[in-house]
Amino acid sequence: MTAPLVSVDGIARHYAMRRGLLGRPVEIRAVDGVSFTLSAGETLGIVGESGSGKSTTGRVVLGLEPADAGSVAFDGAAMPAAGTATWRRQRARMQMIFQDPLGALDRRLPIAPQVREPLDIHEIGDEKARAARVADLLDRVGLSADHGRRFPHELSGGQRQRAVLARALATKPDFLVCDEPISALDVSIQAQVVNLLVDLQADLGLAMLFISHDLRVVRQVSRRVAVMYLGRIVEEGDADDLFARPVHPYTRALVSAAPTPGRRMADRVVLVGDPPDPADRPSGCAFHPRCPMAMSRCREVEPRLTEVAPGRRAACLLVDAAAAEPREGAR
Amino acid sequence: MIRYLLGRAARALLTVALVVTFAFVVLRMSADPALVILGPEASPEMIVAFRKAWGLDESIFVQYLDWFRAILRGDLGISMRDGRPAIELVAERIPATLALTIPALMIKIGIGIPAGIWASLHRGTMVDRAVMGLAVAGFTVPSFVLGLTLVLIFSVWLGWLPSGGQDNWVHAVLPIVTMGVGGAAILARFTRSAMLEVLGQPFIRTASAKGVPWGRVIRGHALPNAAIPTVTMVGFMVGTLMAGAVVVESVFSWPGVGRLLVVAVSHRDLAVVQCILLVVAATMVTSNLVVDFLYGFLDPRLRSGARTGGH
Amino acid sequence: MADVSLEVPRRAVPLRLPRLPIAVSLALVWVGGMIVVALLADAIAPYGYTALDLKHRLSLPGEPAHWLGTDELGRDVLSRLITSIRISLIIAFGATLISATLGTTLGFLAAHFRGVVEQIVLMLADFQASMPFLIMALAVLAFFGNTLPLLVCLMGLYGWERYARIARGLAVAAGSQGYAAAVRQLGASPFRVYARHILPNIASTLIVSMTLVFPEVILMESGLSFLGLGVQPPMTSLGNMVGYGREYITRAPWIMLSPALTIVFTTLAVSVLGDWLRDRLDPTLR
Repeated sequence: MTAPLVSVDGIARHYAMRRGLLGRPVEIRAVDGVSFTLSAGETLGIVGESGSGKSTTGRVVLGLEPADAGSVAFDGAAMPAAGTATWRRQRARMQMIFQDPLGALDRRLPIAPQVREPLDIHEIGDEKARAARVADLLDRVGLSADHGRRFPHELSGGQRQRAVLARALATKPDFLVCDEPISALDVSIQAQVVNLLVDLQADLGLAMLFISHDLRVVRQVSRRVAVMYLGRIVEEGDADDLFARPVHPYTRALVSAAPTPGRRMADRVVLVGDPPDPADRPSGCAFHPRCPMAMSRCREVEPRLTEVAPGRRAACLLVDAAAAEPREGAR
Repeated sequence: MIRYLLGRAARALLTVALVVTFAFVVLRMSADPALVILGPEASPEMIVAFRKAWGLDESIFVQYLDWFRAILRGDLGISMRDGRPAIELVAERIPATLALTIPALMIKIGIGIPAGIWASLHRGTMVDRAVMGLAVAGFTVPSFVLGLTLVLIFSVWLGWLPSGGQDNWVHAVLPIVTMGVGGAAILARFTRSAMLEVLGQPFIRTASAKGVPWGRVIRGHALPNAAIPTVTMVGFMVGTLMAGAVVVESVFSWPGVGRLLVVAVSHRDLAVVQCILLVVAATMVTSNLVVDFLYGFLDPRLRSGARTGGH
Repeated sequence: MADVSLEVPRRAVPLRLPRLPIAVSLALVWVGGMIVVALLADAIAPYGYTALDLKHRLSLPGEPAHWLGTDELGRDVLSRLITSIRISLIIAFGATLISATLGTTLGFLAAHFRGVVEQIVLMLADFQASMPFLIMALAVLAFFGNTLPLLVCLMGLYGWERYARIARGLAVAAGSQGYAAAVRQLGASPFRVYARHILPNIASTLIVSMTLVFPEVILMESGLSFLGLGVQPPMTSLGNMVGYGREYITRAPWIMLSPALTIVFTTLAVSVLGDWLRDRLDPTLR
């Protein structure tokens, strides 16, 4: 295996939030010690509910936000600080697809100049080459030259996301972060955009971080998947394997909540309790208040992410005997 | 609430400090005080001695602090025109200016607010349009044009009222009217839009739907809520009374602070200009503080300590 | 909504004039007329603005040689009025441009750097808004004397705080999410983000603000000139003419009336246009 393109080591991102106008600031750990690596051409999906820190992870990995702890290395070098010239130059190699394509586009400019903008910024090619590249990119994402002359509000949601994709691919990046790229789109066109992403990823050999709350889509796009809960990865592994045989109770609940044809409702694990609140993180295993299999020591001991099978990691006391035993012995 | 008021008071002091700094910087940039005060015929020895005596050989920062301290003591310099302390010259003009501005303020409030309320309650009628039309005129007609037009009509053509001077109260009528009318128009427009905003809100509709008599809805709910922005506007008008007086006093040759300022500026009488600048800033800051205290009584959200958003 | 079959007719803006309210049409005609007069001042003025005609001193308006009459030196009021319009409009345009540029730049700086820079800009804006501008302007004129460029720059300090607040608010909103953040992460320099993306997006709001500040600048300049502290003779401006005509109000009120009416109509017309534009383009402004 070659050296990883992106290696993320224990990153954390904290925010201070005020409860009410005069309340004391509460520290929120949006991301709390996340590590993974991504090789060139590889796809990692990140699944989780809202508040799990998956979007923040994407932004920190891209260097849009600084990490409060841990580090991100891209192509062997540490991530430069946001806004510096080095950072700006590096943008040509890493790009992002946003949830809201209309918001990501400047509504005062037609599509073509916006697709061309990265080429202008990074001064790639001459006038003619840029025009040719824009035409090629539009064609690649399934838009016509006529679409290029339109303004964002004159396109449909799917067409806008295609335009955003064309812009992101303009500088031939190595790494793409997609943050909920289809959740703002009509269900009928979600599949088209996902298929386009999968095709382009394979054709261009992109490394991709695909962030979504939608298990089916993540499974379709990614070879490997990480499940996040309250700022931490709770389970990670090969996509098919992970969805077929989830180890962590939370993954099990997610998998059973996703409708799958041919499975009976009786097998479903239903999540109980309140959805997670990053400002009020439970002690021990953060999932224990909602976990159907919680034990008393789950309240006290924080499970570590440990290898449970080749290529498979999970953070749960049920599978982490090493963490559980000494603790019990100490009592 | 206390914290909020303390914050406002700190900002008020900061404003005055900014004005003083502004005056210091502008003075230093425009002239060497030694040359200004001693005049062009001063010998080099005199200048050196003067600089030593007045601390002008100190660093600029020390000078700035000295300047600040002198102002705190009430020492605002000597008028170059007649050699008297600037503060005396300004103080003796203040009654004349107040004799115009206070009645004018009463006109603004007494006509502007009722007219605005009336227009808001009769929206779209002729009354409303007349008030709004006058309000636009009040904004677009400069006070010197209005003043001269009144002089032309009432003094020159009709011969009813004197056009200038300060012999008795009759002389004050035209300047007071000139000052009051424009402000009344602006206040009417402001009150009207504040009222309309309040009247459009759900709690007004709820109150009238509950069967509360319309008169009581207006008095009990609409007016107190519309009062908050209106009080701000009145406070702003009090704060800028002096500024309004400058032009009107010139039109009617009224011997107030505004007239003094214009004369001082044309004679480059720096000490007097600075003194007036401080008086104006002090008026501004005081009226702002009073408005903030009034807010505490008018706005229940402030009373309870929470504060929403900016303005 | 199908992704592929959606065909929106492109920019189907018909080339027909929108219906204008009568007041707005009149205001447009008046402002257009003023601009034409200012541009062609030298060509259309019948006499030089300092030319004396000692045989026709204080002649009444309506005479064929002097439509608007003459002053006590026999100078043609119409010619002086035309020159005054030019000078007053130059000052007002120049000042409005300066203050819009200054305010927008400061607003963008505040939005970009946040923190201390933002606090300083907001504090200066508060200060500017709370101090009576006329008095501050008089103080500066007292210290520096008076020239036309200084006057334009001084007037250019009027109203900048409004652009600064608007530009800051809109830039912060655009920068925290949406297109500006998207362009930033493409690797664009801050200058490119502000000049090429944020500025065009907030231009309509800024233009509306300019039409709202413009009449106030005219009033401010004419007030200063009326006091004899703005435009200095022999140069003339609208306020200057009114101040000068005051001396002859009993004998020759026409000297004062024509510039006074011009001031009133111009500020009225621009205000009407500004209000109309605000309602059309940006109802969120005040």
